[in-house]
Amino acid sequence: MHRLKVLFAAAATLFVTSVFAQEPGETQFEHNGWFRYTNQSNSFKVTDPSVSRFALERGYVRLAHRWTNQLFTKFTLDFHSSDKYTEGATVRLKEAYADLAIPFLKDFNFTAGLQKHYFGLIYSWDYTHPDKTLADDRGVCASADYGLTVNGFLPGGFGEVQLGVYNGEGYKYAGKFVNVSPELLANLRLTPFAGLQFGASVFTNAKDNSPYKNDATGGRRSSDNKLRLMPDTANTERLAFAPMLRLAFGPVSLTGEYISYSFTRKFSQYKLIYDSANVLIDSTKEEKSRDYAQSGFDLMPLVTLAGRKVEVYGRYSMWERKEQSGDSMPVNLGASFTRFGGGVNYHFVRREKGKPGMGFQLAWIREKSRKEGAEPKDTFMAQFRFEWDALLKPPAL
Amino acid sequence: MKRLVSIIATVALAAQGFAGEVMVKGSDTMLNLTQRLAEAFSNAQPDVTVSITGGGSGVGINAITNGEVDIANASRSIKSKEIATARANGVNPVEIVIAIDGLSVVVNSENPVKGLTLEQVGRIYRGEVKNWSEIGGPNRKVSLYGRQPSSGTFVFFRDEVVKAEYSAAMRQMNGSSQIVEAVKADAGGIGYVGLGYLKDATGVRAVPLSKDGQEFVSPQDEAKVKAGRYPLTRPLFQYTSGKPKGDAKAFIEFELSPAGQKIVEEEGFLPVTSDYQAKNRAILQ
Repeated sequence: MHRLKVLFAAAATLFVTSVFAQEPGETQFEHNGWFRYTNQSNSFKVTDPSVSRFALERGYVRLAHRWTNQLFTKFTLDFHSSDKYTEGATVRLKEAYADLAIPFLKDFNFTAGLQKHYFGLIYSWDYTHPDKTLADDRGVCASADYGLTVNGFLPGGFGEVQLGVYNGEGYKYAGKFVNVSPELLANLRLTPFAGLQFGASVFTNAKDNSPYKNDATGGRRSSDNKLRLMPDTANTERLAFAPMLRLAFGPVSLTGEYISYSFTRKFSQYKLIYDSANVLIDSTKEEKSRDYAQSGFDLMPLVTLAGRKVEVYGRYSMWERKEQSGDSMPVNLGASFTRFGGGVNYHFVRREKGKPGMGFQLAWIREKSRKEGAEPKDTFMAQFRFEWDALLKPPAL
Repeated sequence: MKRLVSIIATVALAAQGFAGEVMVKGSDTMLNLTQRLAEAFSNAQPDVTVSITGGGSGVGINAITNGEVDIANASRSIKSKEIATARANGVNPVEIVIAIDGLSVVVNSENPVKGLTLEQVGRIYRGEVKNWSEIGGPNRKVSLYGRQPSSGTFVFFRDEVVKAEYSAAMRQMNGSSQIVEAVKADAGGIGYVGLGYLKDATGVRAVPLSKDGQEFVSPQDEAKVKAGRYPLTRPLFQYTSGKPKGDAKAFIEFELSPAGQKIVEEEGFLPVTSDYQAKNRAILQ
């Protein structure tokens, strides 16, 4: 009887796991949805929220096709709720790349297209906490971008390395909103022994046109009507650096990263000149620039319990933004903050390759702005997450 | 504070599984073998339950990486990517060899082919040989049977023999037993299975193989296989998180004991060679 039970378990395991590794000609279809309730209020006034909404925050539909053992392509669309459209939803392109195993360089691939951005914790962030990484949240860089990368694993499992050339603007920018100045990126993670992972990412980018899109409203006048502010802004001399550390022992882990990000914002404005009758008689174009320096860190302790069904975690983040004013770089207190909070995840079915996953996440974050007199902002999130996939086999010959 | 530490330690222990239970998951090739070893071990140590599940070597390694099982069965060695992921999760995968397998190429008993070179087997599985008559056999269409990509045997055979893509015409079977049954029912069939699956099999036979076309060796020729003259031998691995401890260590020590290695031979595999024995001893000390 015991043997029968074992064989039954083996057969069941075979059934559910046989689909995860793809063979040439096979296509994997996957859906991944996050249905979230968000409540945002000041100082715990949850019954008087400034935000209270249900939304499908992510609705990934993914098609991954394996052409050969060396060549693989992936295409992901994100159908999610959005208040920007009357239909209440929108779609965005999140991944579209080809991945080629590099001959004679074991465990290394060349990837071309819209792909992961291998910076800091962004690319390995698995949304244990439902919110974004600090770098993504603060606009240091996007989680995905168009580019070319070489990525692979060091022999003996001692870590991984990535080198990449990206557009630099992120996956939401295309066409005229992308300049010709590429972003160069390097990322290294080392795992010298069990329980320790450390590394760093760095990217540099001469120019980033993404602010142009944000400000492309045809310009506007200043409140005193003396300046016409133009939309031709660009962030130049961008440099970001992010060392990371992860410690893991049994069910307990601590993940952290430090981020340093600096850039110069260039823009132009017209000084408007009026006559005594307040009629505009002339204007003078002026090229301007302002330096920015931002830094912060993120720490996340995590305990995994009950056979990996339950995760309990905390999160502490700090962010400081300095902006040039004359010859000095004072802190912009309104854009600087500390955050702390935590949450719990329950996995009804733990997501594994080839298996559907379903879980419930509950999280709270308090953000305290450094601006004097600002009330703390509390955000509660309750999220139901589900993921499933199916393997589409080619027709038999 | 002490109380809090005590509660966390208790909960952590509970999360890691209970004493008296050893969970093993992975290679389908090793499923029957480890099941028999587990039964014999449980007879000797009735207070310890050993649960065995299959799913493929990749599934087993994934499970040990996530701390879900005590032992992963694998018919291939762990990859760099898997080691890096395991270490980042606080898991140090330690490798033990518990048996040697002669991966066997099987055909229907009615097939008169006397022997094949590895190059010929590769051509067959790449789909370049469509009829047995092309390699000196009967005028009969070749039917290909193999494992699924999650299988370590699938990976080993592809890397060592096929050396390219499998033909799209290959039928992917759920397990080695299914391959044996399919070849038995198909006079033109060819498949590959671990040596253990030939032990009581009828209606199929292992084809002697040659690396260079000089000497053709059957995987069932124990003396030649032990002497390293069979071209498709491979170690069968077990992985633990760190050096084996407690009941998992006791189970592995039993597998490597004379009684365990006798079961290895009874199941159609070969006992661990002296060089692997030395490596195992260093880990288990």
